[in-house]
Amino acid sequence: MTVDRYTCEQVFQRINDFLDRELSAAEMALVRTHLDTCAECTSEYDFEGTVLAELKAKLRRIDLPSSVLDKIENILKQKDR
Amino acid sequence: MLSEFDPTTLDALLTPFLGIAYGYALRLLRNGADAEDLLQEAALAAVRGFETFQQGTNFKAWFFQILTNCFYGRHRRHKREGESTEIGDVPELYLFEKTTELGFHGGADPAREVLSRLDGEQIAAALGRLPDEYRVVSTLYFMEDFTYEQIATIVGVPVGTVRSRLHRGRKLLQRELWPIAVEHGIVSRSRA
Repeated sequence: MTVDRYTCEQVFQRINDFLDRELSAAEMALVRTHLDTCAECTSEYDFEGTVLAELKAKLRRIDLPSSVLDKIENILKQKDR
Repeated sequence: MLSEFDPTTLDALLTPFLGIAYGYALRLLRNGADAEDLLQEAALAAVRGFETFQQGTNFKAWFFQILTNCFYGRHRRHKREGESTEIGDVPELYLFEKTTELGFHGGADPAREVLSRLDGEQIAAALGRLPDEYRVVSTLYFMEDFTYEQIATIVGVPVGTVRSRLHRGRKLLQRELWPIAVEHGIVSRSRA
């Protein structure tokens, strides 16, 4: 039987995969349709999405020290000798 | 005459990813000198094993696999016991529930209200407390936009294992972040 809509529980079980776009196109559409009409699930989804985005942005804020770049470039040059 | 740029050489393939590779190493080891050593060790291994790389496949995943293997090798030698968090049962939507209990959700953006004042080091400290199997997949996930399948290839486990470790890793990380937020006054102790 083909599912034509998800319950809150079914969306809840898929929210991480939905955020990561790891669901099939059909599942993505079903979750999106549910979120369009459910304020409670949308609130949870928005919260989790913001948490992930903030964590990624803050963890990724790192500069590669030029000294490290120089050392790696030297290693890469050595292979040609 | 200038020599023509060859995009298939190790130099050409690796150089664009050095920044994110260093970031990944730094978040795993939480020490700049150790991260530098790990990256050099992985670069040497890539030089030695470059002939096994199949042109046209995903170089970034190939190099991160080497980097992760080097981390595991190094980590086995230097592992300190008893530092990781207890797994236990962690409720779903941990921060959502905590902030709901404390009435944060009257504001425009409760997630950002809690997280905006946490810095990368504090988050990395929380990530570092996760047990290894969760920490490695979570760090790959947070530091670069790998798919579950790519993380599975890098770590050498099935995609379903990546999915379950990431899901649990996120919950554990949220649980670790909450007391840090409280400790740093982001959430007042009376509210917490």
